[in-house]
Amino acid sequence: MNAVFDDLIELSDFYILSQKFEEAIKVLKKAEKIEKMNAKVYYNLGIAYEALNEKDNARDAYRLALKINPEFKSAQEHLDRLIEE
Amino acid sequence: MRQFVVIGLGRFGSSIARALSEKNFEVLAIDENEERVKEMEGIVSQAVVLDATDEKALRELGVSDFDTAIVSMGETVEDSIMITLALKEMGLKQVIVKCKSDLHSKILKKAGADRIIFPEREMAERLAESLASPKIFDFIELSKTHGIIEMIAPKKLINKTLTELKLRTKYGVSVIAIKRKLPYSKKDGTTDFKEEIIIGPGPDDELISGDVLILLGSNVDLDKIEKL
Repeated sequence: MNAVFDDLIELSDFYILSQKFEEAIKVLKKAEKIEKMNAKVYYNLGIAYEALNEKDNARDAYRLALKINPEFKSAQEHLDRLIEE
Repeated sequence: MRQFVVIGLGRFGSSIARALSEKNFEVLAIDENEERVKEMEGIVSQAVVLDATDEKALRELGVSDFDTAIVSMGETVEDSIMITLALKEMGLKQVIVKCKSDLHSKILKKAGADRIIFPEREMAERLAESLASPKIFDFIELSKTHGIIEMIAPKKLINKTLTELKLRTKYGVSVIAIKRKLPYSKKDGTTDFKEEIIIGPGPDDELISGDVLILLGSNVDLDKIEKL
């Protein structure tokens, strides 16, 4: 695991919890460049986009998270809810 | 408690009768067609097989005691006109008539209809409106001039308190509620959020990115704020 990558993910969690969703997206985009095949990056992106009501982007992000980890329950729940809307 | 009489139980009439009953209003449902009436039994307060163009029969049924009538007669505009005339003569306060064309609507107005509705057209206009401005989720019409909208807080308003924004003075709209996604940490280490609704937000409440505002105002003012 890349230490910088882990820091970025942690930072994105922090931004999401402090309701700074745009900032979260910025750091997640950086994290994505370091490690493309990490479901958590896309899950957090989904959460941030969904919180900003950018539903199309949120759906795409959850789908990517599920592609990497089909067992990602939370991502599936969010995606199902968004598809229903 | 308001009482409604619904005349004509086609798709529109039966839906409205059902919806009003679900809201616990007293509803009398009338149609000539026995099957349609049977379907409404047990759903509305009373369902009756009757030719609604028969004024005497309507009077005997006590229709004149109702506040509002909804006339939904489908294709037959003559029947709608006759029924509207009869209902207004009986003294009903509000007669709402479903209509398909502008010409018919003029005649129905002359006959005394208080409100003419074009369900298909209204639905289409609503849909077109929501497609044209995807930011807006919903619009509730309160009167011809005022309504409530639900919209994503425009970027210009973010990170400011309601006092700073002065939405009422500047735009003539009131914030009834704010829908906000509240993030939290889950046990498995992932973050998630719950939706919180702040009803009647205070002057110190600050708007944050992603907030959905529920605003009340005149259509003109709401239109202005949508364009921010």
